[in-house]
Amino acid sequence: MNRLDVFKSVLWTLTGLAVATAITRFIFGLGAVSNLSDSTPWGIWKGLSVVPGIALAAGGFVVTAVIYVLKREEFHRYAKVAVLIAFLGYLSAATALVVELGLPWLVWQPVIYWQFHSALFEVSWCVMLYLGVLLLEFLPVPLEETSWFAGLRRFLTKYKLVLVFLGIMISCLHQSSLGTLFLITPEKLHPLWYSALLPIEFLVSAIAVGPLVVILGVLVICYMYRKEADRKTLSKLAYLGFIVIVIYGVIRFVGLAVNGKLPMIFDGSWQSTVFLIEIALVLVIPIVLLGIRKLRYSQAGLAIACFSAVIGLGLNRANIAGVMLQVPGSQYYPTIYEVFVSLGIVAGAIIVFLFCVEHFKIWDVKWKDPRERPEYCPRFDLGSDVWLGSPGVTERVKYSLVFALSFALGFALMPQDRIESKGVEEITVQKARGGDTLFIDGNYDTFGTLFDHARHVDSLGQKESCVKCHHMNVPLDKESGCWECHSSMYTATDIFRHDWHASPNGADIACDVCHEPQQERQKASAKKCRDCHIDLYADNTADIPDTYLAVSYVDAMHILCVNCHRERAVADTTRVALAQCPACHTGPQPDYLKAEMRDELSRPAPNHVMMPPAVLQVKEE
Amino acid sequence: MSMAILTDITKCIGCFECVAACKTVNGHEADKPYVFHINDGLSAHNWTSIVQKPDKHFVRKQCRHCLDPACASACPVAALHQTSEGIVIYESHKCIGCRYCMIACPYGIPRYDWDKPVPYVQKCNMCYELVKHGKQPACTAACPTQATIFGERKELIAEAHRRIEEIPGKYINKVFGEFEVGGTSVLYISDIDLGFLSYVVIPGTKALPKTTATAMEAVLPTFFGVGAVMGGLHWLVRRRQKLQRENEGSEG
Ligand code: SF4
Ligand code: SF4
Ligand code: SF4
Repeated sequence: MNRLDVFKSVLWTLTGLAVATAITRFIFGLGAVSNLSDSTPWGIWKGLSVVPGIALAAGGFVVTAVIYVLKREEFHRYAKVAVLIAFLGYLSAATALVVELGLPWLVWQPVIYWQFHSALFEVSWCVMLYLGVLLLEFLPVPLEETSWFAGLRRFLTKYKLVLVFLGIMISCLHQSSLGTLFLITPEKLHPLWYSALLPIEFLVSAIAVGPLVVILGVLVICYMYRKEADRKTLSKLAYLGFIVIVIYGVIRFVGLAVNGKLPMIFDGSWQSTVFLIEIALVLVIPIVLLGIRKLRYSQAGLAIACFSAVIGLGLNRANIAGVMLQVPGSQYYPTIYEVFVSLGIVAGAIIVFLFCVEHFKIWDVKWKDPRERPEYCPRFDLGSDVWLGSPGVTERVKYSLVFALSFALGFALMPQDRIESKGVEEITVQKARGGDTLFIDGNYDTFGTLFDHARHVDSLGQKESCVKCHHMNVPLDKESGCWECHSSMYTATDIFRHDWHASPNGADIACDVCHEPQQERQKASAKKCRDCHIDLYADNTADIPDTYLAVSYVDAMHILCVNCHRERAVADTTRVALAQCPACHTGPQPDYLKAEMRDELSRPAPNHVMMPPAVLQVKEE
Repeated sequence: MSMAILTDITKCIGCFECVAACKTVNGHEADKPYVFHINDGLSAHNWTSIVQKPDKHFVRKQCRHCLDPACASACPVAALHQTSEGIVIYESHKCIGCRYCMIACPYGIPRYDWDKPVPYVQKCNMCYELVKHGKQPACTAACPTQATIFGERKELIAEAHRRIEEIPGKYINKVFGEFEVGGTSVLYISDIDLGFLSYVVIPGTKALPKTTATAMEAVLPTFFGVGAVMGGLHWLVRRRQKLQRENEGSEG
C-alpha cells in the first residue's frame, strides 16, 4: 500500500457511507438521519457543505481573472487546476443541496418562478449559470483525449475569454449574495458576525482564499504523486491572496469598530473564543506566514498558511450559516449521518479530482525523478507526464470492494429506532397526577368529583387501557375528557316526570301553566322546560334551541342542586347541613372508595362547602 | 383591504377551541411529540397553539402575517407570498424545500414535515380560502369568548386602542404587532409582555426585508460593473503589453 492507495481507500469508504445515508434520507425523510428541527432548519449540510463549498471554489474565477484578464502568463499552468477545483467545489455544493433540500427534484424551479427580492433566488440562478460556465471552461480538457467533438473544443477554446468574463461577473455577484442571505437575520446571527457589510466581506474573503485553495490543491497533488511543486509561482500566487486577506481583515475590523463591537471580542463568551480562533486561522496565521518572504517561499510555510486560511474561511462560513445562527433553546448537534454526508461529498469530489489528474492533461509541473521511488508513480509517462492507461483490474476491484463494504456498513449503521419511530420521542409514563385518585373540578368552583385512576385502569384492561384516555390527537396532549365515555351524564335528557309536576304532592302546578287553555294538551304545544327552569342552564348554554330536553345531569348538579343547596345554607343558618356531603350521599359508600375518601364523604363538613378543598390537598401531596 | 386578527389575552380562557378548529378546517393529522418540535405547541400539524403563561394567561401563537413578510421576501420561488388581503399564503407546488423562510421569519413560525419523504412548509394561512369567500377564519369563529376576533386591520387597531384606553391600567399600553417588523396583521393586546412570541428579541420596528433590499438592488449594477471594470483592466493590460512589445521590437 502506498500513500495514494490508503488515501483513495479512505475516500471510497466515506463515499459509501454518504451514499447509504442519502438513500435512507430520500426514503424516510430528513428527520430520519439528521438532527434538523423546527428550531434549527439549517444544519451542517448547509453550514459546512453548501456555503463553505462555494466560498472555497472561488479560486476558479480569481485565478482565471489573473491569468486571462490581467495577463499574468506565469500562472497559466494552474488555470486548469483552478477551474477543476471550482467546478468540483460547485458540484459538491450542488450535491449537498440535493441531499439537504426538502424537494430536490424541484431545485430548478427558480427558473420559472421568479422572485427578485430573494437573495436565494439570485444565488440559485448564479449557481446554475456558473456551473454551466465552469463545465464549458473545463470541457476542452477531457475533449483533448479524444478526437470527437473537435469542433466544439476549438470553439470553446476560441471563446475562452468570454467564458472567463462571464465566470468572473457571475462569481462576484454570487459570492456576495451568499452574504446577503444572512442580512435578513439581524436578530439571530451573533453580532460579532452580523454586519451590514456581509456581502462585501463574503466577496473579499472568497477572493482572498480562492487562490490559496488552488495552491493547496497543487501541493496535495505534488505530495500524493511525488511531484515537485514550483514554489516560485505558487508563492507569487499566494502573495496575491495575502494582499486581499489584509484588505479583508481591515474591512472586518473597521466594521466591528464602527459599530462598537470590538469589546465583544474579549467578553469571554464561547462565541468570542470561536471568533478569536476564526480570526487566528483566517487572518493572523496566513498574514504572518505569507507576509514574511522567507516563510512564503518555504513549502511548509506555504502549506500551513493555505491550510489555515482554508479551514478558517470554512469556519467563518459555518459560523455564519449555522453555529452562530442558532436560536435560544435549540440544541443542535449534527448526527453522525450528517457528518457522513458532509465528508462523503468532499471525498467524492477529491476522487473525481484525482481521476482528472490521472487521466487528463491538467498538469504541467515536473515530476520528481520516479526512478528514485518507482513504486509510487508507476503509471506516468516520463516524457509526457500523462497517466498511462486506466487503473488495473485489481485496483478497480479493490476500490469497488471498499465502496460496497462501506455502503453496506452505512446501511447497517442507520438508526433503526429513529427510522421506525419516525422521530417520535419516547415518553416516560408517570403516575396519575395526585396519586391514584384525582379530584376533578372542571369549572374551578371547588366542588368536584373524585376520579379513581387505579379503578379505571383495572376496569379498562390494565396496560392496554392507557391509550383509551391518553391519546395525543388533541392539541398539547390532552387526555380524553370524562364526557367521552360518560356521555350520558352530559347530554340533555327528555325525561319529564309529568305526574310529579302535576301532583299535589309534587310540584303541584296547574295544567294551564304549561298548556294553552284552549288547545289540545300535547307535548308539542306545551311549554318547554327552559321556560320555567331558566336557572338550570349554564350561561353558555343559554342559546340552546327550544327543545323539550331537560338539562344534563352535570348541568343539573352544577347549577340546580349544588347552587341551590349552597344558597339556602347561606341564607338560613339553621340549615347548614344542607350544604354538607351527607345531605345527599346518604346511601352506603361504594366499596371501591378508599378509606380516607369514605371518611371525607361521611364527615359533616365544618362549613357549607360540599367538597372541602382538603380532599384536593390530601390528594396532591 | 388588509384583514387582521386581534387577540385579547385578558379574554382568553385557554379552551383550545381555536386550536381544534384550525386542525379540523385544515384536516391536520394527530400530533406526536416529535424530537424536532419546539416547545411552543406549533408544529407541522398545529398551525396555532396556546402558550401557557403564569397566572392563567393563555397566549395564542400563530403566523403574524407581517405586512412586509420576511419569509416571503426570502423565498426564492415566491411559494410564500402576500395576497391583496395582507395574508401570507404558501403554494406548496412551488416550494423547493430550502427552508430559508424558516431562517428568515423573525417569529420562528414556519414548521417543516421533518418525518416525510415529500415534506412541505407548514404555517397558518389565515384560512385564506374562507376569507376569500367573505367568511372569517375558523379559529376566530370558534372562540367562545371573542378573545380572538377577525376584521379589517385599521378597525381592529382602533378597537384595540379603544379597549386599552377604556380601562386604564388593564392592558400594557401597546398594541403588539402595530409596528414591530414593520407591522403585522395578527395583533395582540395583553396585560403581560408578549416579547416571548419571537424567540429572539427583534430589534426596532424596521421590516426585515429592508435589510437585504439595498444589496438586492445593487445586483445588476454589480454584475455589469464588474464586467466593465474587468474589461477596462484587460484592455489596459493588453495595451501595455503591446506597447512593450513594440518598444522591444523597435529597439531590437
Ligand atoms: S410571522 Fe413569519 S411566517 Fe408569518 S408572515 Fe411573518 S415572517 Fe412570514
Ligand atoms: S422552503 Fe419553500 S417556502 Fe420556504 S423559502 Fe424555501 S422554497 Fe420558499
Ligand atoms: S386563521 Fe385558519 S389557519 Fe390560521 S390559525 Fe386560524 S384556523 Fe388556523
